[in-house]
Amino acid sequence: MQQAVRIQQEDFSQDEEIRALQASSKRMGGIATFLGCARDFSEGREVSQISFDAYGSMALSEMQSLRLAAIEKFALLDARIVHRLGTVKGGENIVFIAAGAEHRRAALEACSWMIDELKQRVPIWKKEITPQGDCWVSPHP
Amino acid sequence: MIQVLFFGPVAERIGKHALQVSHRAGMRLQDLRDELSAVYPAAFEIVCFVAANGTHVRDLSLVIDDGCEVAFMAKFSGG
Repeated sequence: MQQAVRIQQEDFSQDEEIRALQASSKRMGGIATFLGCARDFSEGREVSQISFDAYGSMALSEMQSLRLAAIEKFALLDARIVHRLGTVKGGENIVFIAAGAEHRRAALEACSWMIDELKQRVPIWKKEITPQGDCWVSPHP
Repeated sequence: MIQVLFFGPVAERIGKHALQVSHRAGMRLQDLRDELSAVYPAAFEIVCFVAANGTHVRDLSLVIDDGCEVAFMAKFSGG
C-alpha cells in the first residue's frame, strides 16, 4: 500500500486512495474527499498547462503534519493527502484529500479544513502556461 | 556557509534556485533578509514566508547556525 501522504509527478487513482483509507478501519462510517483539478480557463485566459514548483522536503513534512493534526482535531480514523508536481494539463488531477471518520460531519469538516490549511501552509507554487505567456498564480481564498 | 533557497516566483525574479552566503557569528535571519533584499529588491517584494531547515519561522530575530538552510518564499498557491 502506498504512503498516506505523497508528492508525486504521476496521476493518482481516487479509487485506490479510498480503498486504502477504508482498509484502515471498519469503524469508518463516513468518508469525505476533495479533488483539485487543473482548469483550462483562468482570469479570462485559456490555460494550456499548469506547472508546479515546490520546496519538496518541507512540503512533504507540512503535509504529514497536516494529516496528523486533522486526525487529532477531528478524531478521524484516517486521512490521506496526495499532491502532484511537474506539469498538469487542463482537466487533470492536482490534489486529492480524503478524510475518514465514524460519522460524516467530522469527515466533511476535516476534508474542508485540510485543503484550506494546505493552501496556507504547504510550500507549493503553481504557474499557468497560456498562449499569452506564463504567469505564477496568486493564491485563491 | 548558509544555503539559501528560492522557489517559484521568487526564484524566477532572482534567476536561480539557490545561493550560498558566508556565515557570520550572531547573524540573524533579518540580517540575511536585509542583505539579500538589497541585491534582489524585486524578488523580496513578494517574499511572505521564511523557513529555516524546513520549518516556518515567524521571528526573524532568530540567530542562524552555520550550515543552516534558509528559504525565502512567496505566498503558496498549491492545491
